[in-house]
Formats: sequence, C-alpha cells, structure tokens
Amino acid sequence: MEILVCIKQVPDDSVNVKMNPATGAPDLSNITPIVNAFDTYALEMATRLKEAVGGTITVVCVGPDKAKDAIKTCLAVGASNGFIVKDEVTDTISTADALAKAVAKIEEAQGVKFDLIFCGKETTDCASGQVGTMLAANLDVPVIPNLVDIEAIDGGISAKQETEEGYNVVEAATPCVVTVTKPAYDPRYPTIKSKMAARKIPIGELEVGGVAAAAVSVVANAEPPKKEAGIKIQEETIGDSMAKAIAMMKEAKVF
Amino acid sequence: MNFHFNEEEQEILNMLEDFAAKEVGPRAQEVDEEERFPIEAREQLAEMGMMGIYFPEEYNGSGLSYMTYIGVCEKLAEYCATTSIMVMASESLCAWPIFAYGTEEQKQKYLAPLCSGEKLGAFALTEPSAGTDAAMQKTVAVDKGDHWLLNGSKIFITNAHYADIFVIFALTDKEAGTKGISAFIIEKGTPGFDVTGHEKKMGIRGSSTSELIFNDCKLPKENLLGELGKGFKIAMTTLDGGRVGVAAQAVGIAQGAINDALAYVKERVQFGKPIWKFQNTQFQLADMQAKVDAARLLLYRAAQAKQDGEPYSHLAAMAKLVAAETASDVTRRCVQLAGGYGYSRDYPFERHMRDAKITEIYEGTSEVQRMVISGWMGAK
Repeated sequence: MEILVCIKQVPDDSVNVKMNPATGAPDLSNITPIVNAFDTYALEMATRLKEAVGGTITVVCVGPDKAKDAIKTCLAVGASNGFIVKDEVTDTISTADALAKAVAKIEEAQGVKFDLIFCGKETTDCASGQVGTMLAANLDVPVIPNLVDIEAIDGGISAKQETEEGYNVVEAATPCVVTVTKPAYDPRYPTIKSKMAARKIPIGELEVGGVAAAAVSVVANAEPPKKEAGIKIQEETIGDSMAKAIAMMKEAKVF
Repeated sequence: MNFHFNEEEQEILNMLEDFAAKEVGPRAQEVDEEERFPIEAREQLAEMGMMGIYFPEEYNGSGLSYMTYIGVCEKLAEYCATTSIMVMASESLCAWPIFAYGTEEQKQKYLAPLCSGEKLGAFALTEPSAGTDAAMQKTVAVDKGDHWLLNGSKIFITNAHYADIFVIFALTDKEAGTKGISAFIIEKGTPGFDVTGHEKKMGIRGSSTSELIFNDCKLPKENLLGELGKGFKIAMTTLDGGRVGVAAQAVGIAQGAINDALAYVKERVQFGKPIWKFQNTQFQLADMQAKVDAARLLLYRAAQAKQDGEPYSHLAAMAKLVAAETASDVTRRCVQLAGGYGYSRDYPFERHMRDAKITEIYEGTSEVQRMVISGWMGAK
C-alpha cells in the first residue's frame, strides 16, 4: 500500500506560550518546534498498517527549511521518503491547495499513486481541523475523519471512526484521505539504528507554484482569559448539591 | 579542543532526552518509593539500541562513540539515577570486559545478546571482606580438569536479580596474591549459582542489589575470561571505565537537582516575591551550575581520553572524585533551597541527595580515587 502522511511542524504545545507585547503575536522564540501530535498519531497508524500489509510511507510537510527536522523525525519512526513544500501558505485553503498540488508532483517523482493519505485531525497550534477534508475535496476523493483505527480490506480500507456518541466502522474504496485522532496506543520512539538510517535519507524539495490565495487573515491575537476560581458546592446530599447548582445557574441565566 | 558533541551524537542525545523526559523521569519517584526495578525502561532502552551503544555492530552494538554512551548515562541520571546504573552495570562492567578480553566465541555468545538488550549484565568483584581491598578475594575456582569448581559469595551486586550474564572474579591460585585472581563469565541458572536477598539502600533504591552464592558451582572451562591469573587487572581496567560512567551519573544527578530547583524557586513565593528574585538564591544556583560544569569538563576529558585510547585511569579517578563530591554538595544545597519541601518525599530533592551519595562510594570510593590520583602523581 502506498501511503502519504501530511505533517506540520508546530511549536511545542507542552510549553506555556506567552504573547510578545511588541509584536502582538505569540512569542515562539524559545519554543522548540516539534511534529504536530495528531500527525505523529497518523504516522504511527500508517506505520502499523504498512507493517501489516506492506508498502511504503512518504511524508510531506509544507513549511520553511527548518521543517526538515520534523520530516527527519518522521523518517526515524516509519516513513521511508520525505518531501518539503516550500511555497508560502498562510491559511487552511492555501495549505490544502499546496498539498494537493504536491501530491501530484510526488506521485510523478516517485512513479506511484497513493492509495491512502493520512492527516492529523487538526494541528495543536491553529486547531482549525480543516486541511484533511479540504485536501480530499481538492483531490476529489472520499475522506473519513477522526479515526482511531484502520485496517486494509479488499479494494480499500475499514476504519474505526470516533464520534461524539461512540464509534462508526466505515469502509471506503481507495484512494481516499483519512484524518486521525488519538488512538489507543502511543507513537513509537525512534531507535539508534532508525535514527542513523534516517540521517542518510535525502529530503526532496518542492515548489508547486500557483497556490490558491489565502482567504483568511489574522486580525489580532489575544491571550485566553485567565481561568477564574470555581465555586465549590458541597451540600449534605447529592440531591441538595444538584438543586443548589441548578438554582445558581438559573440565577446566572446560564439557561 | 572541542567541547561539543558532534551533530550525530547530539541527535542521539536529543532523542534519548525526549524519551527520558516522557518515560523515565515520570517513573523515578515511584521506582524509588517502591524500590522497584525499572523494568519498563530496561525493555524500552533495549528496543532503542541503548544497551550496546559503543560496541561494534557485528556484536549487535550500535557502533556509536564512547562519548555518546557517556552522554546517555549523564542524561538518564538527570531523570532517574536508578535507571542509569542499570544501563551502566550492564554496558561498562559486563559487556566491556567481555569485549576487551573475551574470545570470539565468548563475544558471539555473551556480548551480542548483551548489546541487543536481550540479556542484562552484571559485574561481581565485591565480597564481605573484599571491598576497597579488592585483592582479598575469598571466592575460589578450582581447576577440575574438564571444568572449574566455584565456591564463595559476592555482595552488593548491581542488577543481580535481573541479570542473565555475570562477569565474576575468583582465586585460582591462593599463593599468588593479585596474580592468583582470574575472571569468569557465568550465566544465570547455572547449577550451584544462586542470587539471594535484596539490599535495602539509602539511594538508587530501584536498583537490584543482592548477594551471589556459589556452592560447588561447575563452570565450563571455556568460561574463563582473559588469561588465567589476569583477573585483578581485568577488574581494575573495567573499573577505570566504570568510573567514567559513575562520573557521568553524578553530573546527571546534580544537573537534575539543579533543574528541579530552578523550576521550584520560580514558583515558590516568600516575602511577596518568587524566591529566585533573592540574591542568595541566584548565587546558590550560579555556584552550583559552575561546579557542575567544571565536573562535566573533567568527565568529558576522561571520556575523550578513553575514546582516543590514551591512558585515562587518573583522569577517570579525577572525574569521578570531583563529580561525585559535587553531586553530593549540589543535591544537599538543593534540599536547603527548597526548605521544608526539600525535605519532603513529595518533592524530588531528597531523592537526588540520597542518590548522589552512592557515587562517592561505588566503583571505588572517593578515598580510592585519591589513592589512584596521588599514585599517578608519583606520591606513593
């Protein structure tokens, strides 16, 4: 199975990001760039699928030159080839367009057609959750969002999709796009051998050209309001606590 | 002179640190509190190729530099001292003497599974009456023609209950002094060989430290390691390397304590401001970091000399002496900086202090290091 995994390099989301008052933007100067967590889940799921049915995984990233580090990270944990797309993108529309164009170029360069394209369900920096679906629309193929598991079946895939109520099992013909949320397992760690091998893999550089203009621009950034102290309700019985909570919410016109 | 790891080494160390921060550090308190061997890390580190870092690939090693290995020991100790000694006892003290003195058959049979991490190693020199005076061995190996017959016991053996392969030392000629000591390789499960008890220790409490008993234990003739009567030399050269590892562990423990202290003093408010705004705190931190960096430079010099094949026995002794005493001093000062919370077992400071103390004792006490250094200076 020929698999493409789309990744993004994002600031480390385990660090508390502060605003830079001079620029009015988040200060990312001392924050380590990492691979978007949902993309690492997508790569792990793709790697397990590849290990089960065979095939090759290619990773693509739209971003600046330093995003090659993110690609290198992926090459040590399951991917065999990596490409960086250097066109400038500023929103999900332009990103999805650049990726769709890159898919055609990578397929041409490698002489293969991708059966499956994996994306994380969203990024941990912008969290719009749109690129995977837009990419599928651009490529005119089906999309199954929010997967926690996947397996190959005759002519396509069977996917376990997380919903607000539970899970759907969805079958689709390939080629298709899937987006991945946190599965029941963690991404693997690289080994010394895989890390050393990844160092030797050349990363392809692409400029796709003619990327769709961005339709969204950032007007202003603001820090989220500080969380206020909560109210503790601890009446004698659970019933009393519930009644008091409902009364307080009514008074605050919550409903 | 270059004080940087090269790009390849740094990438491996970054990879190891990412792993240690997510998997090793979060378990350190539990491993200490429950005196539990870090079995998860042992398996994960084996999977990652960290159990044979500087050995050739033909023996399943990762084929990297000795400096990388030292960097890994230091980083692991920063997050969990117990986990670092588990790796060091296997790589420095068991795999290395087999690599340096073993026959090709011994390397294929014992070194290869140690490097792959399939098996874990241990080193057994210390006896009840042979600690610093290691020549006073009582364990004997008698040549019975087609096998060796081993009798005696060893104490304070690191990794004991979890090790599969042991490098041990025994008298083969009672009249010949240190030249009557020989080294052997023995496998877990050999009839007449038992691992017993669990030493309750002040620090590195998750490490398995136990006694080995040899009771009419038959060892195949081919399990002699190196030449007959050269065991003491094998033990001493192995410990030279081990001391570089312990110096790395000491530097790591001290740095881990400083990192925790730095996070603490930024949060802790007294007299209306975080305590790192007080000059005493700033100066304490500066003193500690400068001392740790000085110890780290001695460590890297000793490690580089070993990697380059230069004489390094005295450098290893200096690095271990300074790093171990720095670790004890720095971790004690970190407890003091955190005050009552520093003394509480809910915080990591007292654990760092307990863990640091062993680095002044094992693989040659600080006093032994002073003997090695003054001997090298000609003051014998």
